Amino acid sequence: MLRYSTALAMMLALPAAAEDFSFAVTTDPQTMDPHAVNSAPVLGFLNNVYEGLVRRGKDMSIEPSLAVSWEPIGEGSGWRFHLREGVKFQDGADFNADDVIFSYQRASSEEADTSSWFAPVSEVVKVDDYTVDIMTTAPNPIFPDSIANWMMMDSGWAEANGAARPDKEQGNFATLNANGTGAFQLVSREPDLKTVLEPYDGWWDTAEHNLTRVEMTPIQNSATALAALLSGDVDFIDPVPIQDVARLKQNPDVQVIQGIEARVIMLGFDQKEGAAESGQGGADMFLDARAREAVAHAINVPAILQTIMRGNAEVASQLVSPAMRGFSKSNAAPYSYDVDAARSLAQEAGLTDQTISFKCPNDRYLNDEAVCQAVTAMLAQAGMTVSLDTMPVSNYWPELRANNFDMYLLGWSPGTLDAEHPIRFLAATPNAEARLGSWNFGGYSNARVDELLPKIQSEIDDTARQSMLDEVAGTLQDEVAYVPLYVQPLVWGARAGIELTQRPDNFFILRWVTVN
Amino acid sequence: MTRFFDSDIFYAFRTSPVAVVSATVTVLMVLAAVFAPLIAPTNPFDPSSLNLMNGFTPPMEPNAFTGDSFLLGTDDQGRDVFSTILYGMRISLFVGVAAVLFAMVLGIFLGLLSGYVGGWTETIIMRAADVQLTFPSILVAMLIFGVAKGVTPVEYRDQMAIWVLILAIGLSDWVQFARVVRGATLVEKSKDYVAAARMIGRSPLTIMVRHILPNVLSPVLVIATISLALAIIAEATLSFLGVGAPPTQPSLGTLIRIGQGFLFSGEWWILFFPACTLLALALAVNLLGDWLRDALNPRLR
Repeated sequence: MLRYSTALAMMLALPAAAEDFSFAVTTDPQTMDPHAVNSAPVLGFLNNVYEGLVRRGKDMSIEPSLAVSWEPIGEGSGWRFHLREGVKFQDGADFNADDVIFSYQRASSEEADTSSWFAPVSEVVKVDDYTVDIMTTAPNPIFPDSIANWMMMDSGWAEANGAARPDKEQGNFATLNANGTGAFQLVSREPDLKTVLEPYDGWWDTAEHNLTRVEMTPIQNSATALAALLSGDVDFIDPVPIQDVARLKQNPDVQVIQGIEARVIMLGFDQKEGAAESGQGGADMFLDARAREAVAHAINVPAILQTIMRGNAEVASQLVSPAMRGFSKSNAAPYSYDVDAARSLAQEAGLTDQTISFKCPNDRYLNDEAVCQAVTAMLAQAGMTVSLDTMPVSNYWPELRANNFDMYLLGWSPGTLDAEHPIRFLAATPNAEARLGSWNFGGYSNARVDELLPKIQSEIDDTARQSMLDEVAGTLQDEVAYVPLYVQPLVWGARAGIELTQRPDNFFILRWVTVN
Repeated sequence: MTRFFDSDIFYAFRTSPVAVVSATVTVLMVLAAVFAPLIAPTNPFDPSSLNLMNGFTPPMEPNAFTGDSFLLGTDDQGRDVFSTILYGMRISLFVGVAAVLFAMVLGIFLGLLSGYVGGWTETIIMRAADVQLTFPSILVAMLIFGVAKGVTPVEYRDQMAIWVLILAIGLSDWVQFARVVRGATLVEKSKDYVAAARMIGRSPLTIMVRHILPNVLSPVLVIATISLALAIIAEATLSFLGVGAPPTQPSLGTLIRIGQGFLFSGEWWILFFPACTLLALALAVNLLGDWLRDALNPRLR
């Protein structure tokens, strides 16, 4: 009798069988294709389904994932990765070197948005079924750090379903379906409505989470999302509206998890020559550096942080936050707020006779629309006329790619946590062939920056590297390539009793979630 | 004038407290909107006059940074809520009235035409109306708004937004007018005075406009009043969804959308006052329309 009751007590003590977990995000991932869109909502979500050769741990350090170990080969000519054996994709296929080669070709193809990650790569060679050499054009000490989001796709699955190459515009099978090696598998995907994941039984690693089913719902309005959290409809939301943090902290049923995100919010400008002739949007008003400087001096960033961000963010001076590696300490002073200087610069540059077309997302960054409105008002106070157009992010990127703007708002979080990352994506002259400047919508171009970038990538000596990074940061500041505004705060909300880990890249990793 | 004060309709008005109150509220609000630049302490549509540091000032309390005080507080951008309501009401009323006028003219024209001419003209117009009726009008308005926004050049978008809104709401609303006018026209058409007019050789256009139209106007008037309330709400809905008035020129709907984000954080005034204004405006106009319908309906007298 006693034995039975002990057994019963043990059974009761076991965690409840079904741990359904649901969470809300502002931005629905545009695609389930890990190579089609290089944006945090997509990569962050797909990190739960797909895996790369390496992955980032709770402290953002690089740890083995589908590769068990790696070492440099030759005199900085590349890296050798030893793959994990016995890993199976969620459809049952084996993972081996051919999938790595395929994923390289796919992710570095012209159709992929991730191709710039592979700019330093010359070729990928299969040594045997579980060894791969990734050759680089120049010594690249941080290469393993830079591929944590390069996710492995099964070649057989992709080819059988006609998804051998990503398709950003039309989409293909991989846009709505997924087949990774990760801790969770995609059960159903309804864009902008609901996405359901379930744990993958055949995962190679030991599960730390206790979830049985995960449902992600995009809720664009953050107040609505908060209401859903408070009423218990969802267990987790990202982000918590910044204005509600103070009140929420007093509520015992929810927890607020705060941190500083790696993301810098900035203004970009159309600096492409002759954009006016090509039709919509840009007149050449921001070709003149004085025009960009006028904007930089017109914006009172501390006031934005004080009111709209309620003191929860820090002023930014360059494209990365001070927490990132390679931050330039010698260029840490932000642009001064000086309306008179801004007004006279704007007049000199002829900016005052034109209407600036300002594009802004309204569901991508914390309080993005309010920030853009405040910027509009501040520019008006310096004598500039601004026509503000805000839109959901699904319309926003196409609008920027179509060059329909004079000025735009952008947030950038360096995936490698290194100052080199934004130079490659935002400051290098756009060049599809060299896979550079793929997010440089404004077409900023500086020969010296282009010259320094490969040197920064291959420099092993930290001091020499930092001095080059300092030079680039200084140049970008002098020429006002972008106007960095602030470092975005990271505010998550969860039901009490949920354990999770917040990483500064704002990726919500489900395998670290436990529901108590 | 004397004739008007002696009329049945004025008597019905005078003796109905609901009508008197709702008419007074409507008139007051229209006046406040028209004279907004004179009444409002600030011009919220002029971005250069805004001070962000004034943001989130509670009603009647001085701001912690600037010391400025506002009757109904300020929103997230430091706009005075009272001024913004007045200016926003202007947009709401202007869009509402213009959209209803547009829908009315279009609806009356098409209704008269289909009722009087009949045949294929009628079939085409009325089937088009039926098809449109199967879509919720807010959806139709969003569709028109989206298309119009896509074809307007960026530089003119802000100026055009209001007109596009009018067009969108007007086009989504003509069906009711057309249906009622057509029905009434069918009845009137068979009456002797129309036959007489036809006999003396009046042109169809003259008969429609001079003879039939005055006799079908009273139901149109009722629908117009009720439509006005609906158009104001439609405008607020579109702006609430973020597809209406530009964010730098907030209408009541935009204000409510902004305020909704601050409900949990305790800045209730950003939402509360615009919402009350919209409620009062829509309710007053609607009650007036209801009363007008009863007053003009001989069977209810």
